[in-house]
Amino acid sequence: MEYLINISILFSIYGILAVSLNLVMGYTGLVSLAHAAFYGIGAYATALLMTKVGLGFFETILCGMLLTGLAALAIGTVLSRFRDDYYIIASAGFTVIVFNILMNWREVTGGAVGVFGVPRPMIAGTVLTSNLSFLGLSLVFLAVVAGAGTLIVRSSFGRALKIIREDEDVALVFGYRPLHYKLAIFVISAMMASVAGSLLASYLMFVDPSTFTLNENVFVIAMIVLGGLADIRGALLGAALLIGLPEALRFTGFPDDIAAQMQKLTYGLLLIVLIFIRPQGILGKFRI
Amino acid sequence: MTFYSFSGMLQCLCKRDKGMELFLQILINSVIVASIYGVMAMSFTLAYRGTRFFNMAHGAMGAVGGYMFFFLHQNLSWPFLACVFGGVVAAGLTGLLTDRLVFMPQRKRGASGAVLLVVSLGILAVIEAVIAMIFSSSFQPLAPMGEITSYQIGPARISEIQTWMVMTNLLVFAGMLFLLYETKFGRLLRAISDDQEVARILGIRTNLLIGWMFFISAALAGLMGILVGLDTGVEPTMGFYLLLKGVIAAIIGGISGVPGAFVGGFFLAFSENLGVWALGGAWRDAIAFILLLGFLLFRPQGILGSREG
Repeated sequence: MEYLINISILFSIYGILAVSLNLVMGYTGLVSLAHAAFYGIGAYATALLMTKVGLGFFETILCGMLLTGLAALAIGTVLSRFRDDYYIIASAGFTVIVFNILMNWREVTGGAVGVFGVPRPMIAGTVLTSNLSFLGLSLVFLAVVAGAGTLIVRSSFGRALKIIREDEDVALVFGYRPLHYKLAIFVISAMMASVAGSLLASYLMFVDPSTFTLNENVFVIAMIVLGGLADIRGALLGAALLIGLPEALRFTGFPDDIAAQMQKLTYGLLLIVLIFIRPQGILGKFRI
Repeated sequence: MTFYSFSGMLQCLCKRDKGMELFLQILINSVIVASIYGVMAMSFTLAYRGTRFFNMAHGAMGAVGGYMFFFLHQNLSWPFLACVFGGVVAAGLTGLLTDRLVFMPQRKRGASGAVLLVVSLGILAVIEAVIAMIFSSSFQPLAPMGEITSYQIGPARISEIQTWMVMTNLLVFAGMLFLLYETKFGRLLRAISDDQEVARILGIRTNLLIGWMFFISAALAGLMGILVGLDTGVEPTMGFYLLLKGVIAAIIGGISGVPGAFVGGFFLAFSENLGVWALGGAWRDAIAFILLLGFLLFRPQGILGSREG
């Protein structure tokens, strides 16, 4: 039971990440490898502000979102100069740079060791120590993020994004400024990734840099490509499948190290196979 | 996450404080690191010329070469050169296989560069995972136990393996220039990279030649993987960082040219080592990417480049 709760919490965290990245990748057509960095900034914001400054969990989420939003605004402005492959390579650079900062700014981030003793959230005087209550909270966050994502993509703003994805010149003719729209969705999406990071930090009660790598980013891309590009439910489905599948393998008695590699093997193979048989993913409406 | 501290470079950097000696040490270390980046960049651009996409699986060929060497050496105890040959061929064949099974069919469907890049990330993950399942995910030294010969050049020190790296870099540079500009095969390759459609109309078998490009490119990456493994060690994720540095060197040198990749390797290695000297070794990757972003923003055609960025 405890095990199932654990997986469900992981699912809700990755679900948030997948929805967030899908807004950028599926709806706007920008393959970002910078999202692991935003995930990391959120996680460290919560970890550091809770342990060193003593802020409450919900305040740190807001601080993390603010910080990530500012970072995303700067990074997005730089990235807006690039297209396609160069966009992907340059965005990867930011994940590596943030990883390096987390790793090396030891006085603040604790270096490779990370930050320990991150408290669980407190609501109305009670600390959510049990995993079940934490699951409830993370599902609420997932619902909020997925709801916000749905609202965004159904709004006129979301339709503009899709026009930009299909043809920027057409968007310009209709009076939309692609740069502003792309920046706006990039910042929103980064802030969502930050929330996922905050949840992770408080759930695991510690953070270290090794979580926020390019690999992690590719893992989330695989979720979206599997579940469906440009579909919110698709992102959730992809997250559920890719979190659930390897965990099921662990049940069948593979050792832990092998199981971790199985996860990597699964998402790698899925990326390759899906591009051949169904490039838009199970529920998707767009192919990169 | 990998970090290569190339053979105690840091200790050397910290101990010496006289300007000239320090400069010489940084220079020699840069030449060593530049060899790794240069070979990765040149081999990367070779395949890039034909396919025009960033093949993220290219670095994994370095890991394939290194681990094949490891397997042949430890488990089958083949002689040294046979192990090197085996590793290089295994890497080349893996590269060829990725093209035949994945990239070639995708090219025929007219897949975009971004799609191919995402697919190649998948291939990278698969290769890393398979290697880790067979050999474990931990770092392992490749060098045959025992003597590690090293030479003294003034105040600086360079190991035998590192001199091989430097020679490999120079040989690959000369060899690729010869191959591309002095042979019929090279003329065909250049024809493909200029215009595939026209090349095909003229009766050039483009896919066969691109297959060769993949083989040679991956084999060279495999060779570098073996040398890096002998110098420090191998781990399943080593390829990715080899690749990123190769791609960065290729881009800042001016992508799709052999001289550009060669020069880019030196430029990247020298800037990194200067940065490492000023900030500390752990910032190496960040320095590389900041350099890349600087180039992409202000000189997208690279140092020697003339094409579009």
